[in-house]
Amino acid sequence: MILLLIILFTVTPPTAVQVKDLPNDDGGKILITWQRAPEPEIIGYRVLRQEQNSEEWETLAFVGRLANRYIDDEAKNYLPYRYQIIACTDTTAVPSEPSGFVSAVPHWFDTSTLPAFIGTIILSLIFIYFINRAQRDKNLFIRRIAGLDAVEEALGRATEMGRATLYVPGLSSMADVATIASLNILGEVAKKTAKFGTPLIVPTSDPIVYTVAREVVKESYTAAGRPDAFHQDIVFFVTDQQFAFAAAVDGIMTREKPATNFLIGMFWAESLILAETGAATGAIQIAGTDAIAQLPFFITACDYTLIGEELYAASAYISREPLLLGAIKGQDYSKALITFLIIIFTVMALVFNLPVKNWF
Amino acid sequence: MKRRIPLMIVLITGIFGAVAFFVPHPAIRSADELMRNDVQRIITAFSLVLGVGSIVQHHLLKIKRHAQFWPYSYITIIALLITAIIGVFGGIDVTKPGILPTRIASFSFHIQTIYSNMMVPLAATMFSLLAFFMSSAAYRAFRARNLEATLLLLSAFILMLGAVPLGRAIHKQLPAFAEWILAVPNTASKRGILFGVELGIFATSLKIILGIERGWLGGGK
Amino acid sequence: MNRTKENILIRLQHIDRRWIYLILWLVVMIPLLFPFKIQPRPTPPVTQLFNYIDTMPEDKALAISVDFTPDTRAELQPMVVSLMRHAFAIKRRVGILAISVYGLGLGEEAIQQVTEEFNSRARNHEDSVIYGEDYIFWGWTTPVLTVMLGMGERITNVFPVDYYGNKTETLPITKHIKNYDDIGVLVTIAASAIPRSWINYAQTQFGVHLSCGITAVSAADFYPYVNSGQFIGMLAGMKGAAEYEQLVRQRMEKNGMTWLLRNRGTEAMSSQTSAHLTIMAFIIIGNIAYFAVRRKRK
Repeated sequence: MILLLIILFTVTPPTAVQVKDLPNDDGGKILITWQRAPEPEIIGYRVLRQEQNSEEWETLAFVGRLANRYIDDEAKNYLPYRYQIIACTDTTAVPSEPSGFVSAVPHWFDTSTLPAFIGTIILSLIFIYFINRAQRDKNLFIRRIAGLDAVEEALGRATEMGRATLYVPGLSSMADVATIASLNILGEVAKKTAKFGTPLIVPTSDPIVYTVAREVVKESYTAAGRPDAFHQDIVFFVTDQQFAFAAAVDGIMTREKPATNFLIGMFWAESLILAETGAATGAIQIAGTDAIAQLPFFITACDYTLIGEELYAASAYISREPLLLGAIKGQDYSKALITFLIIIFTVMALVFNLPVKNWF
Repeated sequence: MKRRIPLMIVLITGIFGAVAFFVPHPAIRSADELMRNDVQRIITAFSLVLGVGSIVQHHLLKIKRHAQFWPYSYITIIALLITAIIGVFGGIDVTKPGILPTRIASFSFHIQTIYSNMMVPLAATMFSLLAFFMSSAAYRAFRARNLEATLLLLSAFILMLGAVPLGRAIHKQLPAFAEWILAVPNTASKRGILFGVELGIFATSLKIILGIERGWLGGGK
Repeated sequence: MNRTKENILIRLQHIDRRWIYLILWLVVMIPLLFPFKIQPRPTPPVTQLFNYIDTMPEDKALAISVDFTPDTRAELQPMVVSLMRHAFAIKRRVGILAISVYGLGLGEEAIQQVTEEFNSRARNHEDSVIYGEDYIFWGWTTPVLTVMLGMGERITNVFPVDYYGNKTETLPITKHIKNYDDIGVLVTIAASAIPRSWINYAQTQFGVHLSCGITAVSAADFYPYVNSGQFIGMLAGMKGAAEYEQLVRQRMEKNGMTWLLRNRGTEAMSSQTSAHLTIMAFIIIGNIAYFAVRRKRK
């Protein structure tokens, strides 16, 4: 009896058992925290759970001696549970006081995304303001983009030489915004090739991009008044394998010897293979990508390169549609706002030592 | 009407996709997962049929017209057919064969064998071309024509030297300096470009959702 | 004479590409046949990842996502092998998955190699690495988002059966690796932008610690994430693999494992060094010819 009392008094139970519904989730999770018992002979903690209106305690897990929290991810929503933590040694098990009842609930808003939400609202408002303003003020200024100015010249060169124009819309899928931007440019390029009578070759690496590109080119030829000049062979699917596609396009470049190559969209390691082969055939090359790692290769091997957001500005630049130009303006002002905020917060953090990092 | 329906679909699904990012509730998340996983998979599966149809049609036309290099089109179509038949009827898992036998004595032509012994070396070969293309591009284009080209040239030199023991032999801080170029000026400029790219993506996505950008619909108004 | 010299310089500027390719081929091949020893010093991103894994708590596992395809195998496979060696040497559990179906064969190859290395030298059960207890190969499933988001909830929901067809719920290791909470760090080995997706989905939602092993050409892309702490260190290219191999070898020797193992990243360093030096020589020659011709024309 005395021995038992001695053992009981030498191992303290875990204390401060707190339970709460895990925030910002889709429900079904309850967070249990406790203060560890200080005794070194403790080998771990057993986590038990009891449903309301039930007498039974269910063992959920056994966690290590250093643990002081556990997430019960098998809780049913809206069902009250309470928990108990048992400190275990080799020979004994000392339970804590049971916690209060808590239920898991799904949440309607993830508060950790609040900064992103506020940013989305502010940026959207800026864009919408400038898009509306563009409808009133149709002469919005955009600086020269050399690569886009060269499109007409490059296509003219192909027409004069009687050779084809090759347009590669990247290797990504329609889920990639760079591909969508590339197809917008393809539409404008196709209108010009239809007008000039220049053969156009568009190999694609994704079946969905193939179907969209085919429709884009077909509509462009129709809009240019040359629906008869369009044929199914202009746009074709090659393969979705990265290097097999590169090999196929290289083959097209060396056999067909296009006078102008457009490499616009999302590219990966095959970018230099395509660009260098095109350079070896003597074609004029206009590249554009937002894949930063590939930019050095395009800049080295191509005549003109659209860097990053110039790719997204391209459709507005070429078409000069006021609404699209307004969106570009909105982009620029958003960037200015972000730059301003970075400077302000950097100064606050450096000069006034404010914990700006923790605010987000 | 032909344009209105896709525009409405894009508007509704675009706004829903954005909302799903902020709302963890299962009512929204489960619908979002259904769209992303199941619907997307079905569309991709159907579009693959279109893609294969396109490549077959493209090469059959070349053969029919006896266009330049038309014999290569035969090789493409035959290779496509053989691989498809072996893949579909021969089974994907080597341990679970299909209805088509894929082995004659010790010679295996299972889809995995074809992949490992043909696709992999061919892909590795194409990737290896990068080394040669990089050297010819560097030789051709890395000329100190102006200030920017000179800076590019010098940075490339320092980084290449930093990656080899010769760099440490030249100066013991050279590898650290090369690392600094990557970690500081390179990172700073990339962050700047990234800001622009992400804003561009935001703007383009908003334009598509609101129906302002319609190039993806097939051009026209 | 001067005209001859100018002609040589002009021809040097416009030399046929094939000479450059031939020289480069020789420079890469010869060190592979007659290698010389090159041991790069570990850089801070590699050391950071090594130290993090080395000091991971015992109850945390290392997860490796084989997200690359066979064409980048030479550069990235040594990373998978040395990460597994490290984890086994310090007795941490390992979970391997593949985001791309092409990574399955590569993951399997690495597992076979490393388990054979350890089990052929094991003196008792403790030293061995047992499937289902010390490591698990979850395999591949689609789509990518389901994997990245589902693993945060419960891994057995994403991979109900492993690569070998075993029910994952029945394996003992599953009790210790339920979801991201049980993973000390997930290292994605990739040649594409997949590591960014891991940050966007897995880390943003669940806070899992991430790192990456990427090709040298992509390294510049991912430095911002290393600097911001979103990646714990980084292995960049063959050099990164060679540095990590060196650190792992030192750790294994410290643990009494003075084994002679093949380190493919380190072996390739002699070729890579020669190639770098050759390209630098090409650039210098090209610029000398360029400036000499330009000066003569003035």
